[in-house]
Amino acid sequence: MSEIFHDTGAPAGRPEAPRSTRWIRWTVLVILVVPALWAASGLGISMQRILEAPADMWKIIRAMYPPDFSYNQVFERTLPKVMESLYIAWIGTMVGAFFSFILSFGAAKNLSPRWLTFVIRNLFNAIRAFPELLLAFIFLPIFGLGAWTGTLAIGLHSIGTLGKLSSEVIEGIDPGPLEAIHSAGGRWPSVMRFGVLPQVLPTIVAYWLYRFEINLRVSAFLGVIGAGGVGAELVSQLRFRNFQAAGTVLLVTIVVVLIIDTVSSMIRRRIIAGKAGEEGPTELFEEPAAVGVL
Amino acid sequence: MSEGVRPARPKKSIVPYFVAAAVLAFTVFAARQVGFSLSQIANNFDTARDFIGRFFPPDWGWAKENVPGPMIETIQIAILASIIGCTFALPVAFWASKLTANNRWVYYIDKWFLNVIRTIPDIFWAMLFVTGVGLGAFAGVLALIMFSFSIMGKLLSETIDSADPGPLEAARSTGAGHTQAVQAAVLPQVLPNYVAYALYIFELDIRASTVLGLVGAGGIGRVLEAQRSFFRFDRVMAVVVVIFVIVFLIEQVSVFVRRRLV
Repeated sequence: MSEIFHDTGAPAGRPEAPRSTRWIRWTVLVILVVPALWAASGLGISMQRILEAPADMWKIIRAMYPPDFSYNQVFERTLPKVMESLYIAWIGTMVGAFFSFILSFGAAKNLSPRWLTFVIRNLFNAIRAFPELLLAFIFLPIFGLGAWTGTLAIGLHSIGTLGKLSSEVIEGIDPGPLEAIHSAGGRWPSVMRFGVLPQVLPTIVAYWLYRFEINLRVSAFLGVIGAGGVGAELVSQLRFRNFQAAGTVLLVTIVVVLIIDTVSSMIRRRIIAGKAGEEGPTELFEEPAAVGVL
Repeated sequence: MSEGVRPARPKKSIVPYFVAAAVLAFTVFAARQVGFSLSQIANNFDTARDFIGRFFPPDWGWAKENVPGPMIETIQIAILASIIGCTFALPVAFWASKLTANNRWVYYIDKWFLNVIRTIPDIFWAMLFVTGVGLGAFAGVLALIMFSFSIMGKLLSETIDSADPGPLEAARSTGAGHTQAVQAAVLPQVLPNYVAYALYIFELDIRASTVLGLVGAGGIGRVLEAQRSFFRFDRVMAVVVVIFVIVFLIEQVSVFVRRRLV
């Protein structure tokens, strides 16, 4: 009996602790602490300021309460601006969806030649490197103050993010149907229409909706520099230290964004997972793949 | 039995057409609201052509003197904010997952809290903090802490949701307390994701911190705003190019490291 026991080769007693843990811990600590100290000292942030910050913020929050719920403030000043943000986000997403959809076929390695995917991929990367606010900032002197500038900035940035995601979706398709259509005599348009589209459209549309949720947040703050939307209202209320009205702006924005988020994620779930009880892929993009778009 | 027979066509429904019509109508309406008109685009192109000339050539001589300082400040803001934000988010993310929350109330309250924080865009946070603690980089750091915190909370709690519950059960059956069990059984599972997310959030923070200065929260954005108000678009262009290069480089390094981690 005991021989059999020994033959399993399992070491008796407690397994040895991995040796390098302590070393790794110290390295990680150094990697985190040194830059943090360098940054804090470079920015001139003292302990005193850090300790005073919560009290300062509490003062602002207190000043915002209770928010100004007068008809004029909510329905005539804030809501129209929030709706403008909504329109900007929607059209921006549409512009981004349209162009990214066309380009993403050229960026997919399984459909296009190497040189084309290289060019389009780097185009997407370059676009994504610019934050929307920076794009709007550059567009502002060209297209003037207003919603159109914000729409263009959001649209352009969305081409980059959506293009990257869409092309990855296209690369993940099953090549079988494409081959089948090809062997049945289908030409390129048929292969795309009946082989590729049905496989990728649900996921890509879900990504469009997801991008719309993000763009709504973006268009909310683009108004800060005058590119349309609710941000302008928040700036002016804070500038005149009209904190109760600023509280209203924040509250209305939060409520509208939460409503849109909820509705949009319900639709996304329905698109990806199918009707309740129906069989189909249930995984949503909570995987790191989605991380690239936030 | 049905071999060789054509499969039945899916039933046609009228609902998708209604949905499509509604979406189209909303799109047209929204397009009008944002001032979308083809003739205006044509006009804009003329203005754009005249205007783009003013962006070139970028004023490199000036940039060499005036850009590095604020750019370093931008990077410092991002570093500090992502380290602090991600650290605070670690316990909060565990409370926001059904698998590891202490009880249902903690879970719901925490989830709700993270959702509300995430609804407020980073620039709004920056404006609030500028009003609260005054102009400067400190307000920017605080704003990006909130931003990093909320995103890490969401991403990590979702990763914890999908963690393998087996080890947790095993740890509990040995008599470990809640915190001990979570620490020993779930934390090691999500740690690589945590580090990858932290790097990703650092990238986001770098991008966000370049524009914080536009609302007075420190960093390179302040320089942008100043030069635009002087109509020195050649200098704006120089700053934009520097931002682009730095963001691009940091992103490439971060993507490389993240790919090796997960």
